[in-house]
Amino acid sequence: MNYSYSIEMQMDDQSRAAKGSDPKEVVIAVSPAFGKALSKTIVSVEHSEVLREIISGIEEQGGVTRVIRNFETADLAFIGHLAAKLSGSGIGIGIQSRGTTIIHQRDLDPLSNLELFPQSPLITLETYRDIGRNAALYARGENVDPVPVVNDQMARPRYQAIAAILHLKEAQEIVRGKPAVNVDYSFTISEEETV
Amino acid sequence: MSRQLIAGVDIGNSSTEVAIVEVCGNEAVFLTQHLVPTTGIKGTVTNIKGIKSCLQLAMSKINRTISEINIVRINDAVPVIGDLAMDVISETIITESSMIGHNPDTPGGEGIGIGQTILIEQLLQHAEENKPYIVVVSKKFDYEWVAYQFNKFERQGIQIKGVIVQKDDGVLIHNRLQMKVPIVDEVAMIDKVPIGKKAAIEVAPPGHVIRMLSNPFGLSTVFDLTPEETKQVAPVAKSLVGNRSAVVIRTPAGQIAERKIESGSITMVGNRMSVKVDVNDGADEIMESYKKIGVLNDVQGEQGTNAGAMLNGLRQDLAEVTDQTIHEIRITDLLAVDTKIPSSIRGALAGEITMESGVGLASMVQTKKTSIQTVSSLLEKELGVSVEVGGIEAEMAIAGALTTPGTERPIVILDMGGGSTDAATNDENGTIRTVHLAGAGDMVTLLINTELSLHDLELAEKIKKYPLGKLQSLYHMQLEDGTYLFSEEPFPPEAFGKVVIREEKGITPLPIRHSMEQIRTIRREAKRKVFVTNAIRALEQVLPTHNIRHISFVVMLGGSALDFEIPEMINDELSKYGIVAGFANIRGTEGPRNAVATGLVLSTLKRRDDRI
Repeated sequence: MNYSYSIEMQMDDQSRAAKGSDPKEVVIAVSPAFGKALSKTIVSVEHSEVLREIISGIEEQGGVTRVIRNFETADLAFIGHLAAKLSGSGIGIGIQSRGTTIIHQRDLDPLSNLELFPQSPLITLETYRDIGRNAALYARGENVDPVPVVNDQMARPRYQAIAAILHLKEAQEIVRGKPAVNVDYSFTISEEETV
Repeated sequence: MSRQLIAGVDIGNSSTEVAIVEVCGNEAVFLTQHLVPTTGIKGTVTNIKGIKSCLQLAMSKINRTISEINIVRINDAVPVIGDLAMDVISETIITESSMIGHNPDTPGGEGIGIGQTILIEQLLQHAEENKPYIVVVSKKFDYEWVAYQFNKFERQGIQIKGVIVQKDDGVLIHNRLQMKVPIVDEVAMIDKVPIGKKAAIEVAPPGHVIRMLSNPFGLSTVFDLTPEETKQVAPVAKSLVGNRSAVVIRTPAGQIAERKIESGSITMVGNRMSVKVDVNDGADEIMESYKKIGVLNDVQGEQGTNAGAMLNGLRQDLAEVTDQTIHEIRITDLLAVDTKIPSSIRGALAGEITMESGVGLASMVQTKKTSIQTVSSLLEKELGVSVEVGGIEAEMAIAGALTTPGTERPIVILDMGGGSTDAATNDENGTIRTVHLAGAGDMVTLLINTELSLHDLELAEKIKKYPLGKLQSLYHMQLEDGTYLFSEEPFPPEAFGKVVIREEKGITPLPIRHSMEQIRTIRREAKRKVFVTNAIRALEQVLPTHNIRHISFVVMLGGSALDFEIPEMINDELSKYGIVAGFANIRGTEGPRNAVATGLVLSTLKRRDDRI
């Protein structure tokens, strides 16, 4: 007997995102095209699965997640720093449509970071879960071991062209002067039982 | 009257110090001093490189060169060398998988659940009502789906009492359950969990530890055991003490054994008698026997055991260094220290770690006269300056220590270095008594390295030397005494949330998960076990009466006297005997450093006017 199920994500842009006050809160800021104009990462993993793993990682450690969408930039450092600045705990995660991710803290310089995962093709779903877990641990003020980052010399030549195209698509969704908004998210799970 | 530049050079186990003085008649002016790590083993020609660079650095501080020095005086290094060894003496083995007692960061729920283990896929096919189950969930199942199935079972009237999960999903599943049960997660070897057996699961509330499964009578209640069986499971309970969550599964033959490794025995040969002690008996027993045998002449380890190998390795090293045969090496002092060595349990399901007991041995070896004459003649050639070998090291140290304001003869000095703890006393008649004991700063470093399983001696050395802090934000940290420190500049991001070592310049984040309190306790215990024990031993042995109540002043010297807490610990202990102890302040400026080098240059003055 096999048990299969599929997970669908609905994302709805809401009102303007304000600064949070809950110390358990970790804010995930997604890039302009995430889950909208683009729906998969550079290695064709569904954005819904990526987001769900990060949120699960945060929940497992007792954190509370808020998702916001940034319109003004496609630059990961600034997306991540915006998330941190609006986060009640001061910890934020930034994620681009192609999958590149950063964990940020509000007191850091925008171009600095707590943890950076620069090579998007190498980030697995387990890593996304760990990124969520670590962000929640930072929010709790714990002693955190950074998530191991894999490095592949060949990733650059292999994915550079497609990364450039994805970034271009991302950049086309930028809306100058539009402030970040809260994003309502929900997942629906449908179960199919096959014998 | 001619002016002369005299350099005193002290070669210690771990550092080489110089003091440079300008002498005019009986007037001496200290110009400069310096300290470098000793190159090679103390008392051998390999030291010359370090001596030379130390002299160069000292002279460059006053813009002069080595060639301007008239006389270099080096100490007659005491021919004792120490070495360290450490090994485990117990081991915990689970012969058949019967328990999981580990501390996942986030187990789900709380309380106790008792039932029969079953895989979730089996439960879907045939679940019986009114039969309690503990469900085993491997990593191929998603938490959302698992929780959905559990809620469905609950509506069907199937009793789920607890869950064992392979992934880190405990809280996620728990948050989605309508009927809350305890959940233990992060069980790596889940396929080894016996299925169809009676099991008990316990999760304690945050900040608490389990109470039922870590109590032998708790286990006997849960599993309905006879007194005989309760005796057998007692080690299981013991090994679960202090955990936040645990699973115990009853298998017919399952047992957990704490096995003592044959560490062998050591035989201490003294002038009064010789005593054989089993290393398994621990450090206290060894040190207690040591007291009975009088003056130690040698120590032999039982052949073919850990103890034998430890002592033989030591002899081998020292034989090579001192150019003697292995049979000529005599161990003249031994310090045994109990330690806890973290080791993973063999046969465990979730990578459980226990603290096995171990023993650390520091020993001191009396060598033949070291070749200090060879060193001095070679140094003379190398520097082009006349070199002379000064007096006895202890005498020089006392002469140096007496430059501390407020001291007078008779004086007792306690020299705590890296390799050995030495004591010397000089009574009114000028009779000098000295002892050299094994175990000092390096032993403390080794204990810290082992107990925190750092595998990095340099880092352990830093932990020993500097106080700790815990970063609360990028701008403030909590200190060991509970107070807070704010910083103008942000701390580096890689230190965020970490326990850090507060060095003079900057901070070093520690790559371990221990809390600041745990690290502090380990550091202080290591220092206490080595230095407080050795201070008492050294003072007892150096006094003609062997009673430390007969002294009133103790002056501490050496690198370890610079430590931020060791002098205070020793002072605390010695004050129980009514002794005033404090670290020296050589020449009123140098603190506990540079005593021997200072003594060496001062002794030239004393020779001239015969004032001793």
